[in-house]
Amino acid sequence: MKLSKFYVCLDFRALIAYGATEPSVAAAVPPCPPLSQPTTMVASKKTKKTHESINNRLALVMKSGKYTLGYKTVLKSLRSSKGKLIIIANNCPPLRKSEIEYYAMLCKVGVHHYNGNNVDLGTACGKYFRVCCLSIIEPGDSDIIKSMPGDH
Amino acid sequence: MVKFLKPNKAVIVLQGRYAGRKAVIVKSFDEGTRDRPYGHCLVAGIKKYPSKVIRKDSAKKTAKKSRVKCFVKLVNYQHLMPTRYTLDVDLKDAVSVDALQTKDKKVAACKATKQRLEERFKTGKNRWFFTKLRF
Repeated sequence: MKLSKFYVCLDFRALIAYGATEPSVAAAVPPCPPLSQPTTMVASKKTKKTHESINNRLALVMKSGKYTLGYKTVLKSLRSSKGKLIIIANNCPPLRKSEIEYYAMLCKVGVHHYNGNNVDLGTACGKYFRVCCLSIIEPGDSDIIKSMPGDH
Repeated sequence: MVKFLKPNKAVIVLQGRYAGRKAVIVKSFDEGTRDRPYGHCLVAGIKKYPSKVIRKDSAKKTAKKSRVKCFVKLVNYQHLMPTRYTLDVDLKDAVSVDALQTKDKKVAACKATKQRLEERFKTGKNRWFFTKLRF
């Protein structure tokens, strides 16, 4: 019976379900938002225009702000509560996506599901490698944090 | 942007001998120390969960089944999975970093947490914390 983080993390879906019935006697249980529905390509209300605007904003963040790329650093930024917005590519493995969303829920930080895969997200960041998830620490001149976080 | 690795947070240990066990953060060191230059925290957790108690158990059997075995450990943040649950049990005086220096202090700390956790288990609160994580 080998425990890997994956199997433990499988349970926190159960945590959320379990917690709904458990009386919260022991103080602060942060309100658990509904588990996010990822924006699908098919039913996406996002037009090409808004998709480009995300790219523009992201480019501005890359130029003028602070960010980290990659799963490990995203979790680090969430633990130290430095991250202000998390962006996840659409082909991120679902367990990893759930884990990042859970951390972000604990942190009360917005998560944006990027309308593209990790290759596209890497290109949007101006990098020549794939980026599955990234965390914006300081937006710089960009208004990405004010205009994006409604999306979950 | 809210810090969540705070004392009284329930976490799950992911690596090491106690992988899969639930624990509660007693003290957190976000900046690390000289010996451990990374974010870590002192956790007190359950080594052996209490068994399921049924109605037809005698008092002696209930007492035996409700025993909790504890551990105290310094764990890297990377090796913890935080949860949305908290467990406010006062362990600050029983468990401290210098309790981990010598074996007898560690045993004393574990005994004190065992007492506190057992009485919390018997009240029936925080039931999630005392159930074994199935994986």
